[in-house]
Amino acid sequence: MNPPLISVQNLTVEIKTGRGLLKAIRGVSFDVNPGDAIGIVGESGSGKSITLKAILDLLPTNARVTGGKIFINGQDVSALKPKARRALLSENCAMIFQDAIAALNPVIKIGDQIAEVPRYRLGKSEEESKNIALTLMAKVGITDGESRYDLYPHQLSGGLRQRVAIAIALSGDPKILFCDEPTTALDVTIQAQVLRLLKELRENSGLGIVFVTHDLAVVNELCDDIKVMYAGKLVETGTVENVFTRPTHPYTFSLLKAAPDPDKAVHRLFTISGEAPNLTQPVTACPFAPRCFAASDQCQSSEPELLPMAQSMSACFHSENHVNWASEDSQKSVAR
Amino acid sequence: MTTTSTQSATPTVIQAKDVVKHFAKRQSLFDRLRKREVFNVPAVDGVSLHMVAGETLGLVGESGCGKSTLGRTLVGLYTTSSGSIELGGKVVGEERTLEERRNVQMVFQDPFSSLNPRMTVGQVLREAITFHKLVPDDKVEERCLELLSLVGLPKDSLDSYPRQFSGGQRQRIGIARSLALEPKILIADEVVSALDVSVQASVVNLLMDLKRDLGLTMLFISHNIAVVRQVSDRIAVMYLGRIVETGTTEEVFNNPSHPYTQLLLSSVPKMTSGSQISKAPSGELQSIKSALVGCRFRSRCPIATPECATTDPMLVQIGSTNHQAACINLK
Ligand SMILES: Nc1ncnc2c1ncn2[C@@H]1O[C@H](COP(=O)(O)OP(=O)(O)O)[C@@H](O)[C@H]1O
Ligand SMILES: Nc1ncnc2c1ncn2[C@@H]1O[C@H](COP(=O)(O)OP(=O)(O)O)[C@@H](O)[C@H]1O
Ligand SMILES: [Mg+2]
Ligand SMILES: [Mg+2]
Repeated sequence: MNPPLISVQNLTVEIKTGRGLLKAIRGVSFDVNPGDAIGIVGESGSGKSITLKAILDLLPTNARVTGGKIFINGQDVSALKPKARRALLSENCAMIFQDAIAALNPVIKIGDQIAEVPRYRLGKSEEESKNIALTLMAKVGITDGESRYDLYPHQLSGGLRQRVAIAIALSGDPKILFCDEPTTALDVTIQAQVLRLLKELRENSGLGIVFVTHDLAVVNELCDDIKVMYAGKLVETGTVENVFTRPTHPYTFSLLKAAPDPDKAVHRLFTISGEAPNLTQPVTACPFAPRCFAASDQCQSSEPELLPMAQSMSACFHSENHVNWASEDSQKSVAR
Repeated sequence: MTTTSTQSATPTVIQAKDVVKHFAKRQSLFDRLRKREVFNVPAVDGVSLHMVAGETLGLVGESGCGKSTLGRTLVGLYTTSSGSIELGGKVVGEERTLEERRNVQMVFQDPFSSLNPRMTVGQVLREAITFHKLVPDDKVEERCLELLSLVGLPKDSLDSYPRQFSGGQRQRIGIARSLALEPKILIADEVVSALDVSVQASVVNLLMDLKRDLGLTMLFISHNIAVVRQVSDRIAVMYLGRIVETGTTEEVFNNPSHPYTQLLLSSVPKMTSGSQISKAPSGELQSIKSALVGCRFRSRCPIATPECATTDPMLVQIGSTNHQAACINLK
């Protein structure tokens, strides 16, 4: 059996901040295989972006991987020299970020930006590179590529610029595309186009997708698997279908209920009071307990581990009881 | 535009009639050298709407369609280029009276940049209250505490600075500041858009409580369709400066009639399993200039006919009362 394309094992990341050493990622493990569509959700500050940056070797200078291992194609990246690591990464992975549009070079023609990797990294001829760029433009749905090749980013609409960013990401022929909130700044109509495009790429080319977002509905539309992150750890993982219909962590349960449903209005939205803990301080209890409707004394005893449940994995002492949450929550949830 | 006389039971508190707002674009030297024509694009182009006391009108549409400009024009931050705005049945003048200004308040998306970082929460609230002399001097502190509890902020917040609060709390400060003026109408412009789902839910609940307890009339501007559905009694859908559909929330969501509304609603990702965002092509906004003749949506429209290029569609009644759409090809 082939090793997973990417295997993250017990990753920990620390960040030096003015308030002390922040344990931003506290033991995260997951695998990504070609063709996977994985959604990583969690509120801002939970560590989603830092996880991706650690994998892609893009951590800010004040952040450091302090534990765990990352394997790409079975190779331990920590054993590789920086140059070899970069090569392995760029061969297999690409990314688009929320500000992907801002990352486009304003003074280079969009076609040339897409042709850059084939031309300079893959060493193709100028003509070949241009043809690859045109093919990619067609692939991401930029019609009329010949005439648009010479346009500059500011001459395109937001949706088209996001497509250019995706075309650039695909130009190195990656097996996995890491997306960090790529649609958050977009209008829903354009978001729908981008999601549709990502779906097509996955179905037609077997592109693997890791999609970071705080929007559960987007995960529902695009992904097969979901990983819920809280305070630097995964607290629930499973298939989208299982987790959305039977969440086994109270945080997931709460998130799903707090999100307004475009299909129906409710009397009151479910709320999650309080805030995530400050991770410069050691964690000795369940970090969600202060905000949790199901918390008990046991939750103060230690931090629960991510353990297999019938259909998913959950890090909660009370997961077994999840079938009863739907009836309990309304009484216990704090008014505001 | 149909009148509101049918709803005489609840008074119309604010009404816009054919409001147009242009931003004058000056021709730059570069434009002149290139002999380039400068286009004076109306951000709001003939909008009529009304709100009755205590209702929430949701205003949706993609970015750049003119939602904020309309909101700012209603508040009086912008003057109208043409058309009129009535408050409580009286047309407001170019310069609003103190009373008119107090009665319409706005809350913005970014709570941080709209709060003065050098002023404590108490200073912000006291300033608003004393400027308009809303309570006797010896009642100001009491009123401040009342406002804090109204928006769910801790009692001891008065001496803290905005930066000491989380995003959701800052949004509450912004709401408290607006409420300090005891307005009749609140214009909420993307107030929950920058917040996490968990925080967003509590601010949405707060707005619904305030509406119920204070009888506030609210224009809720947002590109988040799910939130708009949650808070609004009625919906207005905006496209390139025009309102293309309006109706009760249930009507618009259950029976979207304008092709743009249909596109917009079908693009919203869903929480229910198995649902798929629309497969329909969703085209790009054409150049504003060509869109100004005929229907602005036609180049993206799946049911456009040649007539759409020449006929400017007006809002017309469809089906049930108070449901209107601006499309000449509606059955
Ligand atoms: N460059 C940085 N310097 C200091 N702290 C950072 C930096 N980047 C991220 N953090 C902190 O690390 C934690 C995780 O951040 P991040 O991964 O960006 O969260 P998110 O889930 O919103 O993507 C947060 O507490 C954040 O404040
Ligand atoms: N102060 C301004 N000066 C010039 N143009 C503006 C100004 N404010 C908004 N616009 C333009 O008016 C149009 C509508 O903008 P806006 O009302 O902000 O839309 P929305 O809030 O729906 O995103 C846009 O084309 C925008 O660029
Ligand atoms: Mg992030
Ligand atoms: Mg706006």
